Amino acid sequence: MPVTSRPRRRLAAALPALLALFLAACSTAAYPNSIFTRHTEFNREVGVLFQIMIWLGTFVFVFVEALLLYALWRFRRKSDDERPEHVHGNTTLEILWTAIPAVILAVIAVPTVRTIVTTQAAAKADALQVQVIGHQWWWEFKYPQYGVTTANELYLPIGRTVNFSLKTIDVLHSFWIPQLGGKRDLISNHENFLWFTPDSAGVGAWNGFCGEYCGTSHTNMRFRTFTVTAADFESWAKHQASSAVFAAPTTAAPTPGAVVGSATSAPAAAPATLASVSVPPASATTDAPSTAVGSTGYVFPQDKIPAHAVPGTPIPAGLAYNESLRGDADRGRQLLTAGQGGCLGCHMIKGNPSMLGVVGPNLTHVASRATIAAGLFPNDTRHLARWIKNARAMKPGVTMPTLGRGEYDPVMKATLPQGLTDEQIADIVAYLQALK
Amino acid sequence: MATTATAPAFAPTESYGGESGLWSWLTTVDHKRIGTLYLFTSLFFFLVGGLEAGVIRAQLAGPNQHLVSAETYNQLFTMHGTTMIFLAVMPLSAAFFNFLIPLQIGARDVAFPRLNAFSYWVFLFGGLFMNASWLIGAAPNGGWFGYAPLTTLPYSPGLNIDFWVIGLQILGVSSLAAAFNFITTIINMRAPGMNLMRMPMFTWNAFVVQFLLVLAFPVITIALVFLQFDRFFGTNFYTVAAGADPLLWQHLFWIFGHPEVYILILPAFGLVSEILPTFSRKPIFGYPVMVYATSLIAFLGFGVWAHHMFAVGMGPIADSVFSLTTMLIAIPTGVKIFNWIFTMWGGSIRFTTAMKYAIALVGLFTIGGISGVMHSSPPADLQQTDTYFIVAHFHYVLFGGSMMGIFGGIYYYYPKITGRLMSESLGSVNFWLTFVGMNLTFFPMHFSGLLGMPRRVYTYDAGQGWDTFNMMSTVGTGVLMLGVLVFVINFLKSYRDGEVAGNDPWGAPSLEWSIPSPPPEYNFARIPHVTSRYPLWDLKSPGLSAEVPHSEHGDRRIDVDVARTHVANGHGAWGGSEPKQAAEAGAHIEHSTGKTALELGIPMPNPTIKPLICALGMLVMFSGLLFIHKDRMPLALATIIGGALLMVVSLYAWVLTPLEDPH
Repeated sequence: MPVTSRPRRRLAAALPALLALFLAACSTAAYPNSIFTRHTEFNREVGVLFQIMIWLGTFVFVFVEALLLYALWRFRRKSDDERPEHVHGNTTLEILWTAIPAVILAVIAVPTVRTIVTTQAAAKADALQVQVIGHQWWWEFKYPQYGVTTANELYLPIGRTVNFSLKTIDVLHSFWIPQLGGKRDLISNHENFLWFTPDSAGVGAWNGFCGEYCGTSHTNMRFRTFTVTAADFESWAKHQASSAVFAAPTTAAPTPGAVVGSATSAPAAAPATLASVSVPPASATTDAPSTAVGSTGYVFPQDKIPAHAVPGTPIPAGLAYNESLRGDADRGRQLLTAGQGGCLGCHMIKGNPSMLGVVGPNLTHVASRATIAAGLFPNDTRHLARWIKNARAMKPGVTMPTLGRGEYDPVMKATLPQGLTDEQIADIVAYLQALK
Repeated sequence: MATTATAPAFAPTESYGGESGLWSWLTTVDHKRIGTLYLFTSLFFFLVGGLEAGVIRAQLAGPNQHLVSAETYNQLFTMHGTTMIFLAVMPLSAAFFNFLIPLQIGARDVAFPRLNAFSYWVFLFGGLFMNASWLIGAAPNGGWFGYAPLTTLPYSPGLNIDFWVIGLQILGVSSLAAAFNFITTIINMRAPGMNLMRMPMFTWNAFVVQFLLVLAFPVITIALVFLQFDRFFGTNFYTVAAGADPLLWQHLFWIFGHPEVYILILPAFGLVSEILPTFSRKPIFGYPVMVYATSLIAFLGFGVWAHHMFAVGMGPIADSVFSLTTMLIAIPTGVKIFNWIFTMWGGSIRFTTAMKYAIALVGLFTIGGISGVMHSSPPADLQQTDTYFIVAHFHYVLFGGSMMGIFGGIYYYYPKITGRLMSESLGSVNFWLTFVGMNLTFFPMHFSGLLGMPRRVYTYDAGQGWDTFNMMSTVGTGVLMLGVLVFVINFLKSYRDGEVAGNDPWGAPSLEWSIPSPPPEYNFARIPHVTSRYPLWDLKSPGLSAEVPHSEHGDRRIDVDVARTHVANGHGAWGGSEPKQAAEAGAHIEHSTGKTALELGIPMPNPTIKPLICALGMLVMFSGLLFIHKDRMPLALATIIGGALLMVVSLYAWVLTPLEDPH
């Protein structure tokens, strides 16, 4: 019963072709997290290794499978009377196919060891230092040279080496921006390092992931990296280091649904001045969803964020919020200061003396961020309000409690009798959206 | 069909010459029955693990889907891995160890038949215990690798991890007991004349695997004991708040975990090394080199564990060393691939279903091997580890390798186990569906991985470039499940109405094919005398096996018949004339006597329930630990002490009962 081996043969022919096609296509916009993009020296080094391994691997693959398929075809049984000669081995052949793979492996081993040494050498002394602290399930980023603490969004100046120091506050995580470099694990009671230079990244937004399984919402531990010009970075960092912009009570509430970062113009390179922080965000009344304002430092322009970096996580069914409500930022601030919802227990807003928590993300400039909940949702009224209302329904396992009145808390397995009303949430959202 | 027409059929219920009631199965100490129990149980768990994979793939078919919750998904992927490794592939291999090792070495049973029964019952109870967690909605959720500190009490306060830790401990007992049993069996119970270098390749691979088990399982046991102590008694082996280094777990786990990969793959290699020569009508190419390669793989397998840890920051020296040892291990593995191809080279290849699966292993494992070399390079691995590229890699190793070999082995040995052949036409459908489904499922994962998709994610966002590849994988899983369904139908259907197999349906060379199918409970009415690696080919085609080393020197000393001297010129007999030659050669081929061991005066071990009771006692004892976490200390103590008593008493009774009747 000779069986045709054609499908296997066709597969053998198709795979390398597919591979070549894939290698050609992988750096295009269709594959926004491809590891083959060479925006950093790290990925260029790895790319060289991959080049060697993919071609050698393809060669070995084609050779072995072709040999196998040829043997199957050539030595298929044609008659039941066949009595093949019994060959028990061939020393020359066996030495040959021990030696040739050894040579192939040596070709891979030499550049491998060299790359290990170059990528794990100490980073440049003048590198931008970023402390990465993993939390279940979000990222804390600190820039000690700038006094900045932020969450889930990295800003990196193009062309400057960045040296990440990686730590975790709880379980293991792994810091990974596929387009810019390899993974490095965050190990409890250890400090790890990873550095690269986004020299040819251009101004752009890159997705980051947690690579090490870390519990319920491991999937939802994402982050964004924005590569920006050196001047924009300085502007952003200077502003992020400042106290909360919101200082004086406002009478006007932000328009519901207004996109975060609402302001008037986008002078990207304009340096922020600390003196401007006392300016009430009157401009927030405008509907114009723009990206940055001189007084609030550089923010990556909302309209320039590529689609793959805009989260599309659906809102869980049944989590309703009255989006037509117009909140009052000052009332929101008073609610928080009074301890409503318990926000102050976990979150810090620099400049607000009652908001001193350190367990959750620092909210000092929360309105300058494009996403919330570790890259899970866009930072707009629709999502932010629901997040405050019932974070645990929005993101499984999250520590932040359910706060909305009458909401079902999936961890406590109970419905909240008390808690924040939609009106109160609207006020808090208004306050948070004023924190540019 | 090379089916011999002479041998009478045996209905499966009459198998192994014994009784067939439920009690006979509960008390059996017959290695063939225990092998059959392993086979059915592990196939059941294989289907369970497959269904878990089905839910996983259904969830990932498209972006942002919520068929199951994050928590359920995490339980599913943890249990899929744990089930497939510990409850499917390992015991499937154990099924073959049990059934085949005594038959291949010409023995009547394993060295410790009752310990063998104990191993099975412990495995069954361990598997049931682990899966019982689903019933209370607390299935293990820390991944099959159970990294600390996530699995420590502060981060996993539920019973989920308790089920996992205790379940693995129970299963470890089973594996260790079985390993010692098989090592003793292979060393002591080989038929006269079967020196180590005449053992069939499957037995060689099995032999090496037993040493891997004996050396690797104590390491995971220690790692689990630490975790167990942390969780139940408040020690601080992995408690990070007390300054523990979580890398302790990772090192211990992978010192076990990497040899475990070879525990999973080498039995399949052994099966393929039986199937390829038979259907090529050619002996294995380079037998000694295959033996050395297997041993070398096993040895080197203990020196590569940290390649699972390139991202943890071990420093350039450790990274380099583990990278080089990992590359080194590819060399003996490559040797095996080429030796298999050259076994077929110059042969006369018959494409039975078993053969197709064996060939598929050679072709598909090669892909897994190549991607394996790709992540032996640490800088490149930092871009691959914990992505779907790894998922693709190890499924090519474990499905394309282990499962393909095991499927082939089932098709090949089914007639020996049941006396009937599996249907070749259904087999062909089964094979092609599995082959296509397998590749369609796992090949796209190479791409989704290199395109940045992390592992162990319960969902993913749209627009990341992963949608198409994930949809392909999900469709492939559907095809694969269809293939497995055809397998199950074939497996069950052939049990009743498969073609009667006879002693040697395939024209195979080794001893197990010299006795009736299914074999009588005593296996060999007369213990065979072995004079070469291919005793049956010696009989049927002595001219062809003349080149096989026949070291008569040692044989004469132990008074062994040398087949060659008996059958001087029977060249060319593959077909129906072997009974005559067999008679001339001194009854190397046995036909059913229809007599029981008792009638033949062959002493066989008595059936006993005590190993089952002992295993049950152990299960009860371990289960008691769960109540500690429910804060019901008196109940916990009662269960633990009660279980321990049951175990000790039944063990005592077991030891005091003689194995055989006086004779």
